[in-house]
Amino acid sequence: MITGYGHFAQLAESLQWDETAIDLTADAEAFPQLDQDEYDQVLGLLAGFCIGETSVATHLTSFNAAASSDDMMAEVFTAQARDEARHARFFDRVVREVCGVPGTNMTERVDALRDRVSPDLVELFEERLPAIAASVAEDHENLTAAVGLYHMILEGVVLTAGQHALLQTLKGLSVKMPGVVKGMELVLRDERWHIGFGSRIIQSADVVDDQMEELLTQGTKAASAWGDLIAQDDIAHVEHLHQRRLKSVGIKFW
Amino acid sequence: MTVEQTEARPAAKRWLCEMCGFIYDPEEGDPDSGIPPGTPFEDIPDDWMCPICGAEKADFREVEPGEFPEM
Repeated sequence: MITGYGHFAQLAESLQWDETAIDLTADAEAFPQLDQDEYDQVLGLLAGFCIGETSVATHLTSFNAAASSDDMMAEVFTAQARDEARHARFFDRVVREVCGVPGTNMTERVDALRDRVSPDLVELFEERLPAIAASVAEDHENLTAAVGLYHMILEGVVLTAGQHALLQTLKGLSVKMPGVVKGMELVLRDERWHIGFGSRIIQSADVVDDQMEELLTQGTKAASAWGDLIAQDDIAHVEHLHQRRLKSVGIKFW
Repeated sequence: MTVEQTEARPAAKRWLCEMCGFIYDPEEGDPDSGIPPGTPFEDIPDDWMCPICGAEKADFREVEPGEFPEM
């Protein structure tokens, strides 16, 4: 079982952080020293986060409106939207100040990075998420399906896999990038309660059989969206976590 | 055991994952992870992880009496 929405509202307030306060000086000095494989791996994962976090920060507002009948749930969506916007700003700051990605704004830098990630990942964040957000805006009854995609698949599987992969990559580099590690750890901390919040909504919802099947199959497919940037063992691990999470919120599929 | 004795027995301690809000209830255990119903939190292996967010056992704290009365 998972706590009520009031707990998440309190948690969100207690976990605020400032992305501009993280010192990226050492990271900016280290990044040009990466060898080609390290460079491609780090920039590829960062590109995925820039695309993903920018999209989720944009589209979460539809969810908030759909939750308007439950003030506390709506408040938590607002708190989460604040986090997602911060995450997008943090990764944009990293690619701008550390990696030197060109562009006069976040949108231009995302455009410059899009070729570094697989089409599957781009489709998830730039086609499927906007589509489900539009469906929620049109009919608030679609909120459960939207949370299923957003919190359980995109956050619980895709972004979680990427976060662990990036942390693992950073800690194994030939040079140190402490500012990016620090920010990534704070993002991961936020994402844990976001996933808990989404799981709470799913746990309370009347999820029908085809939605259960969809959650399972989407999760399995989405785990591979990073392509070669994430090792097969890590993909299998995140798939296992996804299935375990679904079982814990009452999604039975065996 | 009398009714009075049954009522006097303290409720099993529940534990909260401070990272994601999951509550471990010993009466339910975590069968999918090999933790059978009736297992106190203290008896769970140290390498067990939160089924929702993957946090470690050390990230849990005991739920205070009266906390989360809705659950």
